[in-house]
Amino acid sequence: MIGDLMKPKVAFFDFTSCEGCQLTVVDSLQTHVDLLDAVEIVQFREAMTEKGEDYAIAFVEGSISRASDEARLRRIREQAAIVVALGACAHLGGINAIRNAQPLDDVRKYVYGDKADWYETYPARPISAVVKVDAVIPGCPIDRDEFIGVVKALLLGKKPPLPDYPVCVECKRKENVCVFHKGGFCLGPVIRAGCGAICPTCGDGCEGCRGLIPNPNQDSMSDVLVKYGLTVADMLARWTMFGTYQQMEAGS
Amino acid sequence: MSLRMIDKGSMAAFVSNLLQAYEVVGPRAKDSQYAFGRITDYDQLRLDYNTTILPPKKYLLPQEEVLFTFQTEGMSAAPVFDTRPRVIFGVHTCDIHALHLLDAVFATGQRDEHYLERRAATLIVGIECLTPCDEHSFCKSMGTLSASEGFDLHLTDLGDRYAVEVGTPAGEALLARYAANHGAGESEVGLLDKMLSEKWPRFSYRLDFDGNELPALMAVSYKNPIWKELEGRCLACGSCNLVCPTCYCFDVQDRVSMDRKTGERIRVWDSCQLAEFARVGSGENFRKTRAERQRHRFFRKGKYIPDMHGELGCVGCGRCARACLVDITPVGVWNALHKAHTA
Repeated sequence: MIGDLMKPKVAFFDFTSCEGCQLTVVDSLQTHVDLLDAVEIVQFREAMTEKGEDYAIAFVEGSISRASDEARLRRIREQAAIVVALGACAHLGGINAIRNAQPLDDVRKYVYGDKADWYETYPARPISAVVKVDAVIPGCPIDRDEFIGVVKALLLGKKPPLPDYPVCVECKRKENVCVFHKGGFCLGPVIRAGCGAICPTCGDGCEGCRGLIPNPNQDSMSDVLVKYGLTVADMLARWTMFGTYQQMEAGS
Repeated sequence: MSLRMIDKGSMAAFVSNLLQAYEVVGPRAKDSQYAFGRITDYDQLRLDYNTTILPPKKYLLPQEEVLFTFQTEGMSAAPVFDTRPRVIFGVHTCDIHALHLLDAVFATGQRDEHYLERRAATLIVGIECLTPCDEHSFCKSMGTLSASEGFDLHLTDLGDRYAVEVGTPAGEALLARYAANHGAGESEVGLLDKMLSEKWPRFSYRLDFDGNELPALMAVSYKNPIWKELEGRCLACGSCNLVCPTCYCFDVQDRVSMDRKTGERIRVWDSCQLAEFARVGSGENFRKTRAERQRHRFFRKGKYIPDMHGELGCVGCGRCARACLVDITPVGVWNALHKAHTA
């Protein structure tokens, strides 16, 4: 299904994004040079000039934020046996979707000024809103080790593992002092793990870049916030950064 | 066994002597709390700690460990054992009881050589608690406020010296070889007795009933409405399991090299509170709801483990209560169950 199982052809693409996830891939190649023996990269704009169109696995960074993105994404979907959403923008809509909550014309004028009419745009969406996605590597940016783990799983013909438990699990394994116990604010109890609880480990609360766990107990999370002197509005404000698209979908 | 004395002035030398032959781990400050960590200098050792975020279990059943390495060509495998000589210094009595239980768990049925090899290379130096850790510990109810076995040496702070109870021949040898010590005089024995009897009333937080009644209480509590109530409260974050000194469930995963020729099989701590814990290969999930998973957790501690091993599965350390952001506590749950049968 994915062509030469021993050395599949892969390509990297980007839509609306900062390209930080692809940069993390480039960085991963420095620590895992054996990756270049395991796959053949045929297209990767950020790292090489060649542009092969014969690929079996497509890694897609960025959200879909204009009509013309859709045709390009669909062509990628038609070519690739496996499409992987790379990072929070492709996975969730991410930071780009913050503007979805504001009038689009205002946003366009704010960004492009008197050239606003030159640029098409519409509310930003995750790539799964346009095409079927086979696997997700969450995060802003993606985690290097998780990226390598996903590639290995694909090479083994396995569905890449994606933790379905919250950040608290990894925080406890690392024996961090709970952010709430330090007087901070953390989305960790309802956000998908897999990052190694990097933000709490470095002293900050979770911002939610990996998206909600399946079936989060949101009522109980609200109780936690109240207990620590916070409000649901505080949580939604924090969750705006990565979860605006999800918040608006849930509310519509 | 025997009772010896170490002057506090000799403790730094004791620890630095140990470092010549052992990896020493003990309680260290971590932000506003404490965590067991590697001791390279006596000053790092905080024997006055209240409790640690994780129990010392992590030195016998690490958060993540390699069980064996394998090669796919020829299908060969080689086990990995950690046998470095290690002293866990400053273990509270609740954790001594917990390790004693884990020793039984991992030696029963299929012997877990990875745990047991580590255990055989580990010496335990306990320390008596003279005051409660905080409002969550309920060791007195669980019979863990003192320990008569499960340690090689056990310290009690007598002010300017430590009373040292020798628990094993290995502990006796450790003391003889590495610590300046002397026999206990009559007044020192008297002082120790006084300290131990005076500490008892300080531990006031406890169950409303005798902890030994837990298996019988749990047997009639399967259908109690409290589990439904916990369904609404529990975040299913797994923190209670992950900080527990007697939880030992793990997940097994394979990590393979990029060329798929070599790999290692690892195990990592798991938690029965996580949504997917009880999902099996054919797709069924035997404990889909948070209520079922919380019930399972409390049955493990109060009934299943005592039924299997003859010791309560909870040592009353209070770590789960501290870690739980929504205040689900063993004392709260068990007292509520007890009340349901006495009202």
